[in-house]
Amino acid sequence: MKISISGTLNQALRRIIPLLCAAALLAACTPPPEPPQLSRGTLLPSPKPLLDFTLTDHTGAAFTRANLTDGWTFAFFGYTHCPDVCPTTLASLVQLRRQLEGTMPSGELPGTVFISVDPERDTPEQLAEFMPYFHPEFLGVTGDEEQILTVTRQLGILHAKAEDAGADDYLVDHSAAIILFDPDGAFHAVFGVPHDPVAMAGDFLALKHYYEAIQ
Amino acid sequence: MKRILLACTLLVFGGSVTAESSINVTNAWVREAPPSARMLAAYMTIENSGDEERVLSAVTSPDFGHVMLHKSEVVDGVARMSHVGELAIPAQGRLELAPGSYHLMMPAPKERLTEGDQVTFELVFGDDRLSVQADVRKKP
Ligand SMILES: [Cu+2]
Repeated sequence: MKISISGTLNQALRRIIPLLCAAALLAACTPPPEPPQLSRGTLLPSPKPLLDFTLTDHTGAAFTRANLTDGWTFAFFGYTHCPDVCPTTLASLVQLRRQLEGTMPSGELPGTVFISVDPERDTPEQLAEFMPYFHPEFLGVTGDEEQILTVTRQLGILHAKAEDAGADDYLVDHSAAIILFDPDGAFHAVFGVPHDPVAMAGDFLALKHYYEAIQ
Repeated sequence: MKRILLACTLLVFGGSVTAESSINVTNAWVREAPPSARMLAAYMTIENSGDEERVLSAVTSPDFGHVMLHKSEVVDGVARMSHVGELAIPAQGRLELAPGSYHLMMPAPKERLTEGDQVTFELVFGDDRLSVQADVRKKP
């Protein structure tokens, strides 16, 4: 095969090559990218790896630190007897997922985990009837009190049984934050209320981009 | 007779109707919940076109065992719900019962409510009672 470069193209190339070299040189000297400015989230100064924990997901399978290393994961803490804040937040997480669908291959979409802070009533069976209603890919996770505390303590998530309006009717106060874990399974960023799915999607994409740029 | 008929119509088709009071309720809805949900929440906008504050002291319903006046709030990052004794609707003002804020909370009935179902609430303002129809909706 014969490759011929026309005179004009050749000339153009001659002009471009020094520019390309300059650009490469500049790139080499460019300081590492700055962490993104987030509109809703707060990026941890340095991602916090988690200590081991063992929980159970709504299919009955073990849910451990290793489950957080398949990719990015959003986590929210709540309880299935909560009719207002928890369904509202889960609906926001569904909207967040819809925002991200189409911006990346579906295999790269962040996972979503709902971690119960009401182990007494939220059995894996209870979560199995609750979770898929919101999204078939969402995972409900529970454990015993101590197992749940092992996770929540590391994240600064607070929860406490409140108002005892009858044996089976108590309420649970819980942190309203949404936690983002990076693909190393480290606590990476936190999103406070109000949870705005569009803003969160933008923040997530910026964080993901930055994370990939500094790898 | 005509008057009574009208009153009945108002009672039956409540929702956005004022039964000679200054209170008008719009956009009343109950959030559809997963099959395993034990508690449900309802929301609405209550407007007071009168010159005096009105106080919602209780809500009853033939469709639920009991109805609680409730409030969700986030204090220092922690979401909590609490009972509210009564809710005041200011003169010429309105009160929104909305997700993450004031709401009605009810134990889920045995028969699961799904989108399209309708339920009735009786709002008690002192001696006045106002019947309100609410739709069950699936929404954020
Ligand atoms: Cu409530």
